[in-house]
Amino acid sequence: MLGRKLIRTAWRYKSQFISMIIMIAIGVGVFLGFNIEWSSIEADTSTFFEDTNYADYRLYSETGFSQEDIEAVQDIEGVDAATRYLSVNMDVKDTKNSLSMNVSENYTVSTMLIMEGADYDEDSEGIWLSDRYAKENKIAVGDTLTVTYSGIEIGGEVAGLVKSGEMMICVADENQLMPDYETFGFAYISPKKLEDSLGMAFYPQINVRSDMEKAELEEAVKDALGKTILVTDKETHVAYAGAKSEAEEGKTMGSILPVLFLAIAILTMITTMHRIAANEKVQIGTLKALGFRDRRILRHYTSYGFVIGLMGTALGVALGYGIAALIISPTGMMSTYFDIPAWDLVMPGFCWPLIALTVALLTLISYFSVKKMLKGTAADALRPYAPKAMKKSILEKIPVWNKLAFGTRWNIRDIIRHKSRSAMTLVGVIGCMLLLVGGLGMKDTMAGFMELLDTDISNYKTKINLVETAENSEIEELAESVNGDWVASTGISYEGKTVTLEVYHPDNHKIRFVDEENELMELSDDGVYLCLRLADTAKIGDTIEFSPYGSEETYRVCVAGYLRSIMTESIVMTEAYAESVGVTYHIGSIFTDEPIDDIEDSALISGKQDKDMIMETYDSFMEIMNLMVLIFVLAAVVLGVVVLYNLGVMSYVERSRELATLKVLGFRDKQIGKLLISQNIWLTVIGVLIGLPSGVGVLYILITSLVSEYELKLTMGVLTYSVSILLTFGVSLAVGFMVARKNKQIDMVEALKGAE
Amino acid sequence: MSIVEFKDVTRIYTNGEHEQKALDGVNLSLDEGKFIVILGPSGAGKSTLLNMLGGLDSPTSGTIKVNGKDISTLNGNELADYRASTVGFVFQFYNLIPTLTVYENVALVKEISKDALDAKKMLDEVGLADHMQNFPSELSGGEQQRVSIARALAKNPKILLCDEPTGALDSETGVLVLKLLLSMARNYGKTIVVVTHNQNIAKMADVVIRVKNGKIKSCEEQAVPMSADEVEW
Repeated sequence: MLGRKLIRTAWRYKSQFISMIIMIAIGVGVFLGFNIEWSSIEADTSTFFEDTNYADYRLYSETGFSQEDIEAVQDIEGVDAATRYLSVNMDVKDTKNSLSMNVSENYTVSTMLIMEGADYDEDSEGIWLSDRYAKENKIAVGDTLTVTYSGIEIGGEVAGLVKSGEMMICVADENQLMPDYETFGFAYISPKKLEDSLGMAFYPQINVRSDMEKAELEEAVKDALGKTILVTDKETHVAYAGAKSEAEEGKTMGSILPVLFLAIAILTMITTMHRIAANEKVQIGTLKALGFRDRRILRHYTSYGFVIGLMGTALGVALGYGIAALIISPTGMMSTYFDIPAWDLVMPGFCWPLIALTVALLTLISYFSVKKMLKGTAADALRPYAPKAMKKSILEKIPVWNKLAFGTRWNIRDIIRHKSRSAMTLVGVIGCMLLLVGGLGMKDTMAGFMELLDTDISNYKTKINLVETAENSEIEELAESVNGDWVASTGISYEGKTVTLEVYHPDNHKIRFVDEENELMELSDDGVYLCLRLADTAKIGDTIEFSPYGSEETYRVCVAGYLRSIMTESIVMTEAYAESVGVTYHIGSIFTDEPIDDIEDSALISGKQDKDMIMETYDSFMEIMNLMVLIFVLAAVVLGVVVLYNLGVMSYVERSRELATLKVLGFRDKQIGKLLISQNIWLTVIGVLIGLPSGVGVLYILITSLVSEYELKLTMGVLTYSVSILLTFGVSLAVGFMVARKNKQIDMVEALKGAE
Repeated sequence: MSIVEFKDVTRIYTNGEHEQKALDGVNLSLDEGKFIVILGPSGAGKSTLLNMLGGLDSPTSGTIKVNGKDISTLNGNELADYRASTVGFVFQFYNLIPTLTVYENVALVKEISKDALDAKKMLDEVGLADHMQNFPSELSGGEQQRVSIARALAKNPKILLCDEPTGALDSETGVLVLKLLLSMARNYGKTIVVVTHNQNIAKMADVVIRVKNGKIKSCEEQAVPMSADEVEW
């Protein structure tokens, strides 16, 4: 019999039940969504890395490694496998596209996964091409492909379509944020084909698989080769670092957002269950008077919490997988970044116990709500629940109090009287505001970052990439002929970290620099500039030490200032200062305003990139951003509507007697509606005032958690502020009207019956 | 002169498939300035009668004229204005707003009635001048009912409608409240309609109307009503 009552009572409180289930589902869903996301990234990428023998360490030498070098490295105890490796960008003939051409001499490290076509064969003349690039450019197995490198053509038949761990994030260089398979892909050829085409073998890289510590390997390599070699671990390689930082971001998201939603869900549960228990008090008393034992009654009412929890979490699990699949799937958001063969969803192990705990907690909440109503004798329980008596608050001591309108006084007292309900409304508004400010602010910040990169920093039309073997003097000549500036980048060891030393020729302002406030700045020739991530390591005027890899030298330089380096973690100096301290470098790229087609091909040039094309690669990144913003905005609106509606209905029910009295006295529906809505507005104003700075704060935390990758400056447009505020008020008002409309249905006669 | 005119008033409540005739062709005429008691057992239709008169409910058929105006066809807002200007209510359970002070509960009517009387004066007259800043929950039942009377009269209505005004009070307090109600109404020249199942209250009335099964059973005038002091229950 009680089972039937369970269903009927649930039906009676359907709007409360549904909103609680929605809140729990969203909370659990968002929690699982992000947690499945990061754990899937970790699992799927590490499987892929394993399958393609992804290198743990990369050794670099600008002059190339010899046969003796690789043999010496292979002989190091603790090195499982090593290969001489080449990865160089080449232009695809008759197109504006380019490819990263990869050659792994000893095909045990940094290999590929064949998706279609022939297996790798070291005697083959074929080219194994990125399947994603092939798809975008409509190339099939058997087609021929020709690339050019420093004037030399390398052509062949596409033997297979592949994926590779080395090229999991397929970008041309660190300036490209997101892959764009239409314009940039990768390919593998055999060492034999490379030698046949170039007439020589040049390997500036050795890739190593080893469980050794980095310092240990560095030492061993130094002993084996007789010189210091730049050794980078996988943490600094784009594929591994990208996967790791995506997983970290997922972890951050998975810990901030769900906490908000779950907290709101649980608070909603507390207020609503209390309300329902209070409403059902007479029924609880009746059951007690009939002779039902407390335990049986408790079990009956506790089962509401259990059922709500179970239904909410079940929906939440489905929603969580849905959210995760939106990101982790062959067509999901992450697919624009990673190129991996399998997109399996993996739930972290701790999730199930947490879900069970959530259900248990929700059950407990309803248990305690009912327990309170069961106290005392059956007669006590039969008496209806009496709300707390009214007391004067401190506010009323303020002289202006008596000048306030009735409605205002009434609303303020009502807010104070129903503290938990008001607090919940506030939390709902704050949460809504927080999500809007966070989501829209994130977009503003990224847009500001793009703008900075596109117009302030990159003041050029074309970037010319140079071959490793080109002489500085030849390059300077070329740079001068195109009115260009240039940069030389080298890996250096600074404070025990691997950072990039960038030497610039900035005289033509083709590349510009910005300070912490994103204001343009000039580099002086009196010292080095540290990027903001390194700002803590030294004060201006300090002398710092660093040593380039591949050399025994240690340089002592003066710190002249700080600058914002949006991507690389770097120390920057001018050509003039480099010369004055005697730092040697090799120029890697030239920046010029010459259009790409006006620059003659030469043996110096390995590739040319149009800035607009580089910037286009950010488009897909911004698309993801927009999708994220949309999700945030939707979440904000759902959160606001569900929480506010639930509380609005509760408030309306609690006050129905008062509202009926006003109606009997002769107040019109509209006047009563105004009274109800103005309370909403009051709480919304307070919520917005708290939510706005909190949103900025959360955004700041999110952005600083990304600082290891980029140096972002928190940017918020007027539009973000106004849209967030207007939307929050819009949600609050819309819900207010929805609830206020109900007061037409107040049955005055019914509401006035019965005792206070 | 009659201030209220009921003509063939019928009110049918439909509850699912079940129909209930709460009022069945009631014809009634009430004179201005009189103390009228509507008497009947529970379920007789007396509250329905009062609700019709108070503009809380509209008849299924028939017309109700108050002060010469037909109120049976008014819409929601017109009914609200009618309640605001013409009738004052006193309920069994007082129905004060718990979050407003005693003074505010009475002064509230200023928001809807143009010729509202001064709240302080009204409270003074019901003997609660010292409790103006208290909340209803800090008062006894009798005191709360006095606030409710002050509020009903502050609107300066033509008719005062009371639904079991002493129902929740002990007999001693009940008598005091009734006495106050009567003297106030007489002072201000109001018509009072009291709905009750208490025979003793009827003894004080100018007119006693008995209702049974949704119909008027009798309507008697009492030439010499008892004074409140003489009434006991």
